[in-house]
Amino acid sequence: MDEDSALDDPIANVSGPSYLSSLSQPEKDVGKDLDLSFLPEETSGNYASNANVTQDSGVFDACRQEESAETDPKKVAMPGASTFCPMTPVIPVAESSGIIPMLQNIVSTVNLACPLDLKSIALQARNAEYNPKRFDAVIMRILEPRTTALIFSSGKMVCTGAKSEELCHLAARKFARVVQKLGFPAKFLDFKIHNMVGSCDVCFPIRLEGLLLDHQQFSSYVPELFPGLIYRMVKPRIVLMIFVSGKVVLTGARERREIYEAFENIYPILKGFRKQ
Amino acid sequence: MASTGRGDGLALPKVQCPNRPDAMLVEDYRAGPECGLVVGDRMIDVGSEWRTFTNEKATKDPSRVGDAQNPLLNGGDLTTMISKGTGAASFDEFGNSKYQNRRTMSSSDRAMLNAFKEITTMADRINLPRNITDRTNKLFKQVYEQKSLKGRANDAIASACLYIACRQEGVPRTFKEICAVSRISKKEIGRCFKLILKALETSVDLITTGDFMSRFCSNLGLPKQVQMAATYIARNAVEQDLVPGRSPISVAAAAIYMASQASAEKKTQKEIGDIAGVADVTIRQSYRLIYPRAADLFPPDFKFDTPVDKLPQL
Repeated sequence: MDEDSALDDPIANVSGPSYLSSLSQPEKDVGKDLDLSFLPEETSGNYASNANVTQDSGVFDACRQEESAETDPKKVAMPGASTFCPMTPVIPVAESSGIIPMLQNIVSTVNLACPLDLKSIALQARNAEYNPKRFDAVIMRILEPRTTALIFSSGKMVCTGAKSEELCHLAARKFARVVQKLGFPAKFLDFKIHNMVGSCDVCFPIRLEGLLLDHQQFSSYVPELFPGLIYRMVKPRIVLMIFVSGKVVLTGARERREIYEAFENIYPILKGFRKQ
Repeated sequence: MASTGRGDGLALPKVQCPNRPDAMLVEDYRAGPECGLVVGDRMIDVGSEWRTFTNEKATKDPSRVGDAQNPLLNGGDLTTMISKGTGAASFDEFGNSKYQNRRTMSSSDRAMLNAFKEITTMADRINLPRNITDRTNKLFKQVYEQKSLKGRANDAIASACLYIACRQEGVPRTFKEICAVSRISKKEIGRCFKLILKALETSVDLITTGDFMSRFCSNLGLPKQVQMAATYIARNAVEQDLVPGRSPISVAAAAIYMASQASAEKKTQKEIGDIAGVADVTIRQSYRLIYPRAADLFPPDFKFDTPVDKLPQL
């Protein structure tokens, strides 16, 4: 069983189900390799509690129906699209920009609901650093998905670095697994995503000075301080960093669709300030 | 000592000429310029105190009426401060001075007065004219009264106000120049700058390369021809979009480098970098971008000491 090797090699030989792979592989493969169903489902969110335990492979799965194991023809829309809530319309490719921002980072927190002895965690676990004089938390990393977690003595944990919500949830569960293996009665409460960062390229240079003049109340462009224009969109509440090269970074989202919506809002504006 | 003063002061009743209520009143001890009608004769002079210069024995002039009033910036400076005594009578039996309590006056404005002092000191270090200092004081007062940035260090807010005032007066200073005269880091000044713009709901114009040419070139000791050439080069480089995304300071520094290298007064990148507050690798990067088009960037009437093809290629 690969579980015991999780301590030595917390990664295990699991290829975490990514968004893309969920379309091709059934999730049961993951469930076999790394059984994360041990964690009692006391989440307030509905992700894991919907699916029954045998099917639960730690895959982030809000409102997914029972037939989710098979590839749903509806979901073949496009890579990186939101597949969990079938009620939310997937943004059609044909309309507007045709460019989909890629998620680069997701920050989430989870409560392990038990006080932790950081020193023992740091001494026993691999890939853990603990420097109480610098920062009062253990910094633990796993290789698959490539993520970093800050584990605090209160039992709360921050997980960063994942590229999708599913991977973030999986990574958080892996970290919780590691902590559990070290002897603490870890639970998995209140998993919540706090921030999502996406980036994309509009593929044409942009006149930032023009954009600043027109959208002064939303934009801040101080080339001495930062080479990009910082655009604070009101609805949805997202901060975009727009660069001369045409690259755009969007951050501050709680949900993936906010990133998409913000980009769809800014794209026509940017087209108006294209450099000739 | 004639001073023109408007007759309508702060409080009622208004002093007006009975014949022409709209006319501006002139405060003149000799004779007025127009009809000569005396409207009021007991005026309170709010200028600085009158000094009596006599050649008699140098007794201390006892007419102390205090500093000039600055009603724009203080909450009405009508406080009295008791200074430390000089004679023997001002000390009680233990050697402590009587009337110790001279500190807690105008406490509400104490921080503001301190900040004004700091602003004056900073502006003085880089020889900024009085109008910029006044504008900075006004901005600081506005920010201070609004209290939205109350938690921030007053020095940081003062430095940011100084930066904004320089921009508003049309003579921008770089953040690094403000840093040089302030104890606050560039990062903190930048943060306060953005917060103040938001709090006061103002905006500032974008900086251009030409704003810094005269200052940088004179600090380097470059002649007017070179300065004009550098201004021309930088403006064209930005117009032709040869340097997208580069800070205007870096482009200005690279233009100065190119112009000075083509003239008799050659300056090294390090020297220019020191004056402009730009790293010499940054100058090199921007220079590489403008070098290919050097021939059409120079002004047509420029006298080359070093021809364009002999310009250093980095």
